[in-house]
Amino acid sequence: MSEHTHEAVSDESKRHKHEGPRNHNLTYIVSALLTIFAFAAVLYGQLDRTFIILFIVVLGLIQAVFQLFFWMHAKEKGHFFPVIGIAFGFFIALTAVAAAVWWMWW
Amino acid sequence: MANAHAHAHAAVHHEPKRYTGLMDWLTTVDHKKIGILYLIAGGFFFLIGGLEAILIRTQLMYPDQKIFVGDTFNQLTTMHGTTMIFFAAMPLLFAFMNAVVPLQIGARDVAFPFVNALGFWLFFAGGVLMNTSWFLGGAPDAGWTAYAPLSSIIDPDGKFHGVDFYVLGLQIAGIGTLIGGINFLVTIINMRAPGMTFMRMPLFTWTVFVTSILITFAFPAITVALIELMFDRLFHGAFFEASRGGNNVLWEHLFWIFGHPEVYILIMPAFGIISEVVSTFSKKRLFGYSSMVFATVLIGFLSFMVWVHHMFTTGIGAVGNSIFAIATMAIAVPTGVKIFNWLFTLWGGNIRFTVANLFATAFIPTFVMGGVTGVMLAVPAADFQYHDTYFVVAHFHYVIVGGLILSVFAGLYYWWPKMFGRMLSEGLGKVHFWLFFIGFHLTFFPQHFLGLMGLPRRYFTYMPGFGLETGNFISTIGAFLQGLGMIVFLINIIVTARKQKDAGNDPWDGFTLEWTIPSPAPEYNFKQTPLVRGLDAFWKEKMAGNKEMTPAEPIGPIHMPSPSILPFVMSLGLFISGYGFIYHHYIVSGAGLVITIISMFLRSLFDDHGWHIEPEELEEHKGGKA
Repeated sequence: MSEHTHEAVSDESKRHKHEGPRNHNLTYIVSALLTIFAFAAVLYGQLDRTFIILFIVVLGLIQAVFQLFFWMHAKEKGHFFPVIGIAFGFFIALTAVAAAVWWMWW
Repeated sequence: MANAHAHAHAAVHHEPKRYTGLMDWLTTVDHKKIGILYLIAGGFFFLIGGLEAILIRTQLMYPDQKIFVGDTFNQLTTMHGTTMIFFAAMPLLFAFMNAVVPLQIGARDVAFPFVNALGFWLFFAGGVLMNTSWFLGGAPDAGWTAYAPLSSIIDPDGKFHGVDFYVLGLQIAGIGTLIGGINFLVTIINMRAPGMTFMRMPLFTWTVFVTSILITFAFPAITVALIELMFDRLFHGAFFEASRGGNNVLWEHLFWIFGHPEVYILIMPAFGIISEVVSTFSKKRLFGYSSMVFATVLIGFLSFMVWVHHMFTTGIGAVGNSIFAIATMAIAVPTGVKIFNWLFTLWGGNIRFTVANLFATAFIPTFVMGGVTGVMLAVPAADFQYHDTYFVVAHFHYVIVGGLILSVFAGLYYWWPKMFGRMLSEGLGKVHFWLFFIGFHLTFFPQHFLGLMGLPRRYFTYMPGFGLETGNFISTIGAFLQGLGMIVFLINIIVTARKQKDAGNDPWDGFTLEWTIPSPAPEYNFKQTPLVRGLDAFWKEKMAGNKEMTPAEPIGPIHMPSPSILPFVMSLGLFISGYGFIYHHYIVSGAGLVITIISMFLRSLFDDHGWHIEPEELEEHKGGKA
């Protein structure tokens, strides 16, 4: 078991060397910008409440995608199952929450 | 795992800690032993649940009896349902998953052996916690579905803690099941032998794979529901209390978002067992393998989209009811595909009616009957009539007992030699089968009609003169017959355990990898990882005139995980803290949690690299050639 893990780690670090830090720098900047936009939308004070909420939710979703793909390696090879799993999890959770909320509180 | 040996071998070579006797079982991380533990614990709870069932049927044998009335009867039905689903059916399936799946995919263990042991001990702690309620003021009595607000009623005197036991017991057991599901998901994805692609996996492994997916996605819903109920009951929360802004329908949604996938979690591995048994004893490969896989995945997917069919009478409205009715009926299509595939597998086969195959072939028509009443129940307008009557009871016992339990017995007779190295007696097995099978139909067939006549479920009695006497009487006699069948099965186990180990590697002329190794499997399963050259790997080699599998690696040291007492201690900690929560002694709960957390730290801080079995030691074992 344990060697297995070690091997996986060394494999991954090899891949990182090839790729370089370019993508990570880029996504770091984009993530920072997204956060600034979210703050700015609230600070500006002229926008509609509903718009701000939706805007921040959309920014949050974009950020989550960046997190998954660049920081959690979802775009790399060998991550097919985690990606499918996360997508399926979203699907199930959204269906369940949407249906239950719809019937109970609308 | 095999490839990793050479590289880490030099670094770690120490004598393994070898425990014997009881300590061996408490510390084992071997999937085969954990499978046996699941079988023993699940079998024990199955007997308790069965005893509760017989007590229920005794009360209902004649009209207007007063043996178990009111609260006692409610406790019996609640505990029967909960015990059978969570503490009998689930662990019995986990027993097969542990005993068979790593062998079928040519692996030496599961992906996370430590987590595997932890999963077992958590389930066991939860099951014992819940069943001790019988001696501590009374068992849970709000039904196995524990609908709020009934389940959130608290005894003002603080003496009766029934539902608290339900909440804490299921929560602890649920963690165990969840990590077990994740473990098998990772195992099946990552640990298959070279050459075993997904479309070469035996069907039992496929169904366990889908079941593990369902466990992983369904159990979080019950975890959330139980946490909320726990807060309502212990800390004056109001998740389900309408008068304080809560909503009790929330419980129904959460429970069934979990609960419907749960019944498919139960039936999927049963489908897998039937597929293996039917094809082996027809001496034919499974008909329509790829359509079976497709049907399995489709049923798994649809199972998340039908939970509202348990709630047709909740008042969701015509549109919602119709959508879920159609989704529910759609499941009949892939299930039908499976039924026909089994029939076509049997068609023209060289059928041997061993006990395993008797159970498997009895499963097919029985399960179809349960399926047909399922489609009837899926019609919302009709469901308003059937709801909460014995018709529903008959339906789900046809699919769970007639489906799951018959296939569990088929699987036990089939894999017993691989698990224990001894063949169960076929003669006693046939007695067991006929008693159980006839008893089953006597018990549940009349219940369809009792339901249609209007007998509500969960009522502790009925009045004479309404035409309900005969059906109930026959039903009770059937329950006694099933009990007799179980006694014969226990005798069979004892008789078998007392004789010499007599099972060869391949007693049934099987198709899959587990039959290529000795019975019972050695600690390391495969001396050399086999090379899989097609679906039904062993059958393929047999057809090519080979006696054994082609190895995929040279003989080398085999890496083994170290045994550990930590899984047991972690579970013990949660078990203790469970009582603390139930009795509001938060020092006790804190102490229990501290035990668990310290064990987690110990596990994290001290690396355990396991140990190796050297090639020279392998030579001493029999089985396999150098």
